[in-house]
Amino acid sequence: MFKKNYRQDNAMAYTMLLPILALLTIFVIIPFVYAACVSFYNWSFYQDSTFVGFRNYYLVLTDRLFGKSVWTGLKFALMVVPSMLILSFLFANLIKNIGSKMGSFVKTAIYIPTIISGIVASVIFVFIYDYTGGLANYVLGLFGTEPKAWLADVGSALPSVAAPAIWLGFGLTSLIMLAGLYDIPESYYEAADLEGAGAFKKMWYITIPLLRNVILYLLVTGFTAQISQYELSLVMTGGGPLDATTTPNLYIFNHFRNDVMVGNSIAASLLLFVVLGAISAIIFRVLNSEKAVDG
Amino acid sequence: MQVNRKKSLAVLVTAPMVMSILLAGCGGSNNDGGSNASPSPSASSSSSANPSESASPSASAPSGEPVTIEVWANKFEDTTTAWFKKWTDEFNKSQGNVKVNLTIVPGDAWAQKMKAAQAAGKAPDVWTISYNGVANSAKLGEIQALNDLMDETAFDDLYDNMKDFVSVGDKYYAYPWLVEPSAVLYYRKDMFEAAGLDPSTPPATWDELLEAGKALTAKGVFGFTTAQIAPEISWSSWGLQYNAAGHLPIADDWSKADLQNDGYKKLVSFYQQAYQSGIMPKQQLAGYTDAKPFGEGKVAMMVNGSWAIGQLRNSYKDIVGKIGVAPMPTIDGNPNNTTATLGGWSLAVDGKSKHAKEAASYISYLLAGDPNVVLDYFRGAQFSKFTPRKSVDEAMKTDPDASKDEVRAMIAEKIVPYSKPEPIYPWDISLAFGTAIESAMKGTDVDKALAKAEKDINDFITKNKIAGTNPKQ
Repeated sequence: MFKKNYRQDNAMAYTMLLPILALLTIFVIIPFVYAACVSFYNWSFYQDSTFVGFRNYYLVLTDRLFGKSVWTGLKFALMVVPSMLILSFLFANLIKNIGSKMGSFVKTAIYIPTIISGIVASVIFVFIYDYTGGLANYVLGLFGTEPKAWLADVGSALPSVAAPAIWLGFGLTSLIMLAGLYDIPESYYEAADLEGAGAFKKMWYITIPLLRNVILYLLVTGFTAQISQYELSLVMTGGGPLDATTTPNLYIFNHFRNDVMVGNSIAASLLLFVVLGAISAIIFRVLNSEKAVDG
Repeated sequence: MQVNRKKSLAVLVTAPMVMSILLAGCGGSNNDGGSNASPSPSASSSSSANPSESASPSASAPSGEPVTIEVWANKFEDTTTAWFKKWTDEFNKSQGNVKVNLTIVPGDAWAQKMKAAQAAGKAPDVWTISYNGVANSAKLGEIQALNDLMDETAFDDLYDNMKDFVSVGDKYYAYPWLVEPSAVLYYRKDMFEAAGLDPSTPPATWDELLEAGKALTAKGVFGFTTAQIAPEISWSSWGLQYNAAGHLPIADDWSKADLQNDGYKKLVSFYQQAYQSGIMPKQQLAGYTDAKPFGEGKVAMMVNGSWAIGQLRNSYKDIVGKIGVAPMPTIDGNPNNTTATLGGWSLAVDGKSKHAKEAASYISYLLAGDPNVVLDYFRGAQFSKFTPRKSVDEAMKTDPDASKDEVRAMIAEKIVPYSKPEPIYPWDISLAFGTAIESAMKGTDVDKALAKAEKDINDFITKNKIAGTNPKQ
């Protein structure tokens, strides 16, 4: 009896899985396998493809610029993701604690950047960073400081590109963070009040541990998204000055645009896939996800 | 236990599924490689051996429906777009056999759009191609030889040095449309006077240029501007490289880098001084090809291509009278030195075009036929571009506007004759040297910057095995 039911369930389960399996096969697995195959070829649209083995991988891995771009992507993510998390944590707490009317106004206000396209944001920030007429240098001028070459200076270019990325992303993370905050039972805080815990203690021992899964989610998606970021540097700096803002995806994009053979770009993409997978795995490992304890 | 069994069952079911997909995928790609390959022999046969063969199927059915050909043109100035549309309409009206569908493609979308179209086998029949792309595209079979598709006498009308721009071996692979020098010095005469300089004697050497730049720099005005980011320096400095070193940073047979000499050192330190002395803005106000900051009076001297005069005449009419135009200063003041490369555009027939003959007839009509068709283009561009055809130059002499245009005459006489064609080696090599200049501007020692560029170029040569592959050799 038990055995029979068990089988029936399985058949039903596989039938229900079939559509998503088919979609995944068409849009994920086949392209992925095809890309993996193409990466072993000198592949162009006009000539015969020739099998070159691991040569494309060799070319990418020995390209100084590829390593540099992965490092740039990491630095970029390290600038953007932590600042975004701290900022959204503050805003989420603010929204939770002010009145509901004011709260919904702030919620809407900080969500607006999220619906602005990255390209539009880049153009806005290019105007802000303009050397002679930009807002940033105007503000510096008020303090009597010399204008700064925000996007042309090797040191300041990457942080200057990171600013719009934070601005674009923190609205959505705030809302996710807020949802996590509402999930923490009030009784914990009441108990802490009775014990005489201060605001900082409550944050450290109640709020942050219970937000662990939310933070984990935001860290993994944030790192993946920010390392893959490329349209901001494409529009704002074109990857310059001296490749200081060439993120891995921009590197791949440039190769795709300029190279006659496509194999190189695909090999680089697959290597980036490995890098991103490794980073996500590390984050999962360090911040073990747990089932919420409050049940 | 139950969970484990379920898991293992799932693995049992999915593993073969994934495996079979993997195998099918790889097999599929091999088949696809085969089918990808199959059109290319026909393309190569049409490009080298017998182009008329590929044209014959369409030629054999001329009656009835007109043949539709797709033409993609890069988006340049608005006047250029208007000219393309106007004369394409005229072409369509002038005969009933060929109908041209014209698409204007923005420059930054060109590469992706073209790659995508080529991948799908839907590349246009005719497309714009810059001279430095012709030899490589011809080698790859992306474009086909025009000798048998067009009237051969059309090529006799070209200036001798221009024939070299579009030919590989004894075949012509594109028909040239225009040339434009990459570097011309523009300066504000009124600012020269205000700074106590003589507007009738613009700087002739790099040292004079730097000094004038210092004198002209004032509050809100930079003395000098030129390209200052690596990708733009890479191409806009080609003429200056010829000037300083007599050659480009790679041996003629592409076997090794060639930039450890005084000329290259002087060139890099010229850029370094210009940037670090504060006569240039620390962050570029606009791209190299854009004359806007100069037009708005934020810059007193600007190096830009010949096309900038068109922009200034169209958009900054009030200062046109105050603008002086001179050849780019040279390393030693010798006016016969090369100061610019001639970039420019041509039209070519796609290597896989099914209607090569018809496609070529459109090119003939637009670029190689009646001089008045292209003359109309040069008029729209305010004569800021130059023709590769003798007969068009003749027609220009009788044109009232062109004949009294002093800037046009200056560029045509003092810059174009000494200019060189753009290099055709891979872009990475130009970029390696452009990066050397930018890093020197940003504080790297000149020798170190050059040593790194030399290493990058040599690495690129070995890795990509380009030694001895110069299609022009």
